[in-house]
Amino acid sequence: MNVKTNHSIQCTVALALLQEVIDPELGLNVVDLGLIYELNFYEEEKKLDVLMTLSTRFCPMGQSIQDSVKTQLENNFPGYTVNVQLTFDPPWSYERISMEGRNFLNA
Amino acid sequence: MFTTDHNNHAGTVTTPGVVIPFYVYAALSFLWAVFLLCISPAGRYDHYFSPHTLAITHAMALGWGTMIILGASHQLVPVLAEGKLYSHRLAYLTFILAGVGIPLLVYAFYTFNMGVPAKAGAILINSAVLLFLVNVICSRPAAKNENVHVVFVITATCWLFMTTFAGLLLVYNFTHPLLRENSLHYLPLHAHMGIVGWFLLLITGVGSRLIPMFLVSKYTNIKQLWWIYALMNGGLTGFVLLFLYVRRPVLYFLPVACLLAAIVIFICYCYGCYRERIRRQVDGQVKISLLSVLMMIIPLVLLAAAIGFLLTTTENTALVLIYGFSVFFGWLTAIILGMTFKTLPFIVWNKLYHVQAGAGKTPSPKDLFSSRLFNLMALSYLLGFLLFVAGVFAANGGVVRAGAVLLLLCAFLYNLNIFRVTFYKPGWR
Repeated sequence: MNVKTNHSIQCTVALALLQEVIDPELGLNVVDLGLIYELNFYEEEKKLDVLMTLSTRFCPMGQSIQDSVKTQLENNFPGYTVNVQLTFDPPWSYERISMEGRNFLNA
Repeated sequence: MFTTDHNNHAGTVTTPGVVIPFYVYAALSFLWAVFLLCISPAGRYDHYFSPHTLAITHAMALGWGTMIILGASHQLVPVLAEGKLYSHRLAYLTFILAGVGIPLLVYAFYTFNMGVPAKAGAILINSAVLLFLVNVICSRPAAKNENVHVVFVITATCWLFMTTFAGLLLVYNFTHPLLRENSLHYLPLHAHMGIVGWFLLLITGVGSRLIPMFLVSKYTNIKQLWWIYALMNGGLTGFVLLFLYVRRPVLYFLPVACLLAAIVIFICYCYGCYRERIRRQVDGQVKISLLSVLMMIIPLVLLAAAIGFLLTTTENTALVLIYGFSVFFGWLTAIILGMTFKTLPFIVWNKLYHVQAGAGKTPSPKDLFSSRLFNLMALSYLLGFLLFVAGVFAANGGVVRAGAVLLLLCAFLYNLNIFRVTFYKPGWR
């Protein structure tokens, strides 16, 4: 899991929470799927920036996944403004799936 | 290192209201076509140019195959093209025009009334296809590298328009001789532009994107896809030219060889995706879709045999009939039965649950339909298909009838599941 952050402790908490956000087709969470690129916390401004991707641009479930990430973090980091930004550079690839994710898909 | 997407949204997904009516219409058409198959006297399955057979074929090709593909394409073209659908209004118009035109045309064939109903139906269907073509071409994002899947879809839609336009000419030719020969003469041309140019090309183009996606496969081979594209279009164009200008049956083996090569490459492509899949478990919907890829070989073998008969004796009409059946009730129906439940539940799920995203547990899209009904449907389909083909081969009316009844059961179960998904209410389990 290769996620860039400016606050490793908060990042660990956020990633644990995001493991509950599931891709509806695969049944796998967005963290193990490798969709999360960056999580940056700005405590003074009470701001949380998420940089993530989707398995494909214009994925029909994309908006729903993006909204789920935002809601999950907003509900668990009260007072924080969560800003979810999408990127397709670099694009997502199968290599981003974590070992746990591969084991889940292999089961 | 990362560049953010300046639109910062996951893409404007096509409104479900545009797509779902096509699915419901197609499901009802399937039931209707199989009902017509059941009530047609079994003894009539000896020639493809009979009013009942023409009506069933057009209900299957247009009402079932084309309507569901048009619906799914309005959802999938933006995914394939990585853009958004050009116009929802054009999509609604396409539905209305085709939705009115198809029953008119089928009624006209059933009663063999080539007057106003057939002409009005054909004009409405042509208008719908033209609007769809405009919508697809305009949905293609400018200044991007050519996407092979989008090229497949656009080319297939051009072939569809040529097919429906040829159909319109054939309808008029019944009452006002426009063409050199009678309409029956041009039937193989009209049929193959539709079967190969529209269905086969579109299904391989879209399937080559969806199958690796659903299998979560690392396999990719764009070169193979371009070969398939060239062989299918080359084979079909060759057939059209041979049919119009040469008319030597022995030469028809050339386009058949091109198509066989294209299908073999497509099977290799699908096998590559299957072998390199990350997701081990393959669900029933993908299994039936993969089976349909193998089933593509059946009509091709029958076609080669039919050409062989043309060379030695005369046209074997029963063989030609089974050939048509193995296209519309064979691989085309099989892939639709599978792919419906990989697309429609997601479209409905998105409509119902995307606002609740992350706010608690929601059912998964596959919970929206009944797996038990799906399995029963798949079983009745396979048995029905085999019995019907065996019955026509053996000229046994009872076996034909048993096959048709099983296919009716399949269509009924399919409709039950479609309505279950379409009218799913949160809280149902």
